[in-house]
Amino acid sequence: MSRAESLHAAAPAARRRTGRARRQSTSAQQPPGNRRSSLRRKEAIAGYLFISPWIIGFLVFTAGSMIYSLVISFTNYNLATGTTTPIGAANYAQLFQDPKIAQSLGNTLYYAVLAVPLEVIVALGLALILNKVGRGSGFFRTVFYLPKMTPVVATASVFLLLLNGNTGAINEFLGFFGIQGPQWLVDPRWVIPSIVIMTLWGVSGTMVIFLAALNNVPHDLYEVASLDGAGPVRQFFRITVPMISGAIFFNVIVLTIAAFQVFDQAYLLFWRDQTSASPSSSLFYAVYLFQQAFRQFDFGFASAMAWLLFLIIMAITLIQVKVGNRFVYYESEH
Amino acid sequence: MTVRHRLIAAASISLLAAGLLAGCSSGSSGGSTSFSKNASGTLKAWAFDNADDVGKARLAYAKSHLHGVSIDLDQTTFDAQKFTTRVASGNVPDVVQMDAQFVATYAAQGLITPLDKCYQAHHVSAASTFYQSVKDDVSYDGHIWAVPQFYQPPAIILNTRVMDKAGVTPADINTSKPDQLISAIKKMYVANGDKPVTMGFDPVASGQPGLWLLGYGGQIIDSSGKPTLNDSKNVKGLQVLKRIYDAQGGYAADKSFTDTFDTFGKKNQFVKDQVGAQVDNQWYVNVLTPYIKQVQISAVPFYSSDGKPFTVTSGTAFVIPSAAKNKDAACAWALSLDSMGAWKAAGAARAKTLKATPGAVDTGLFTGSPKADAYIHKTYVKPTGNAGFDKTIETYYDVVGNGKSIGTSPAGQQIQTELQNALQSTLLGSKSPSAALKDAQSAAMNAYRQAVKNATPSK
Repeated sequence: MSRAESLHAAAPAARRRTGRARRQSTSAQQPPGNRRSSLRRKEAIAGYLFISPWIIGFLVFTAGSMIYSLVISFTNYNLATGTTTPIGAANYAQLFQDPKIAQSLGNTLYYAVLAVPLEVIVALGLALILNKVGRGSGFFRTVFYLPKMTPVVATASVFLLLLNGNTGAINEFLGFFGIQGPQWLVDPRWVIPSIVIMTLWGVSGTMVIFLAALNNVPHDLYEVASLDGAGPVRQFFRITVPMISGAIFFNVIVLTIAAFQVFDQAYLLFWRDQTSASPSSSLFYAVYLFQQAFRQFDFGFASAMAWLLFLIIMAITLIQVKVGNRFVYYESEH
Repeated sequence: MTVRHRLIAAASISLLAAGLLAGCSSGSSGGSTSFSKNASGTLKAWAFDNADDVGKARLAYAKSHLHGVSIDLDQTTFDAQKFTTRVASGNVPDVVQMDAQFVATYAAQGLITPLDKCYQAHHVSAASTFYQSVKDDVSYDGHIWAVPQFYQPPAIILNTRVMDKAGVTPADINTSKPDQLISAIKKMYVANGDKPVTMGFDPVASGQPGLWLLGYGGQIIDSSGKPTLNDSKNVKGLQVLKRIYDAQGGYAADKSFTDTFDTFGKKNQFVKDQVGAQVDNQWYVNVLTPYIKQVQISAVPFYSSDGKPFTVTSGTAFVIPSAAKNKDAACAWALSLDSMGAWKAAGAARAKTLKATPGAVDTGLFTGSPKADAYIHKTYVKPTGNAGFDKTIETYYDVVGNGKSIGTSPAGQQIQTELQNALQSTLLGSKSPSAALKDAQSAAMNAYRQAVKNATPSK
């Protein structure tokens, strides 16, 4: 076994040893079978109690609406009269005939491919920095989290200035390095990257999850690795990444779902004011869905769009789970 | 968290979008479209969000003329999503103020009621009360669907300080003579590298596409409500706009430049000489009045391709939802707010406000009614002692009668969106004007067919 491989194996092995020791001390008091099932039952009850607010909220506010949405996706829904006329799968057939569906899905996919990896990298980078801060860490955590608390409308207004192609701070910064920045908000090729930059401003929610995961990585692993001569980069890839792989996996899934539902940033920058220029490159799927519902009042078609989005997200999530599970270290499974 | 739990969480988050849509459930009914002059009860009014001195005077006038009616006023701004939710939940206001360009869409869906009988009940003739183009803006399918208000036409405000410096005269800013106009623009244009410092002429393409297309003889929506973006005459308007932007740094640089304007502030584009001329709606003259000593302005009309003054209509309007419970009071209130008496009260209130403000200028009110406009103009608009400002104010009064409606359609908003797409593609050079308009027409027709499919106007 190479030095690198032995380091990679060190992390789960150490956790296994700790877990085994804990189990051995408990097993001295009760018959193993009974104690295990009793513990599992208690854990399950506690788990359900913890998620019960979400379950109640889901059943009361969401489940019925979801079912109704599915029903009206097979109808022509008349808002004025509140009546529905069954039209079979016509709304779903229209999904394949409307060229804007493919266009908006393409824009959304491009955004997701750009945004998700960048959000993970930036959030993890910030979390690593914060994890190193000793004194005043609470202050810095608050400061780093503040962007998440800022209303998106205010953020959009600021980014309209930051991303200005002539005088924006981002292009001024690029100018120091002799780079002529693009017309971010006007040139269709740069519209989605500019929305990604705005998204990165609110990455602190993801950062907090990474920070929690980093806090759970045992320091003795780094000490062992350090004694064996592993540098910071090797420690990061051989200890940190495997140990926080669960958090990375969770964030990738949640961020992907959020990316496919992106609405606020594009709507505020390009679609809120009808007299402003709204490039087709900023037409995200959720924006088009909103237009179908609240401009065209075609709630049947909008519902079909929502269900298509659900299926796409579900398929992508399943793939991510299948592929991702191979690389994720779960403490409970060792 | 197990894989199963994570999947459930993922599914529920994505289903939220579907759930939100389905939140609108139980319906409302169309109701009667007959109106009585006798108003009573409680009136729920929504979106009268412009209660300044003018608004307050009109509200007071209407209240004093609606005896026995209790008015419950929600002054938050109109929001399509909120309106939809209120309709679906049955909690519908009796009268709503919205942008006039939305009226046909709501009418086609049966969400608002036609007001022909409302006008009849109060012996008000829409044809003689409003400018024809203003009436056209709220007419659809042979009916009038709203009580329109405020029509502040676009014209061209000149920055004579910049013009004089470049040797350009007001006669050079003539949109019916594109070659002459572009020559003048080049003379006034100043750049720092490739960044504009002074635009010769800001045509406000994305804000005024209708002015440019209709001004060159084009058509956006036909009389039946169908989009006509591929009308061959629309190409001319886009070509001229492209030439205008290309003569002064290109659309992308100009758009980024105009985005930095302090439009409503003391460092606005006329104070800072960032434009030589700009297309502006009449209300912008009011914005400039506090800076009368810092700016040097005049104005000329937008000239159509045949050399005549030309403008397009816009404004807001009062509509009555189909499911409104107190339509009689709604009708009486809306017509009362738009009556000659209300506008007279508004003119007096504005004059009183301005009298108390040293150096203030009364630029008049542009109400949507030629009689009210003429009365306020004659009674309150007096020479300011600043010839350029006076010329600017008078130019708007000169053009207000030359307005044309962009047209009304069940898919009006989507047609405007497609027009914006064609405009962007053309001005950025990614498509020729005719190709961009052809693509836009195809998309707009899809939207139109979809809107007609769902249309159930209440009559």
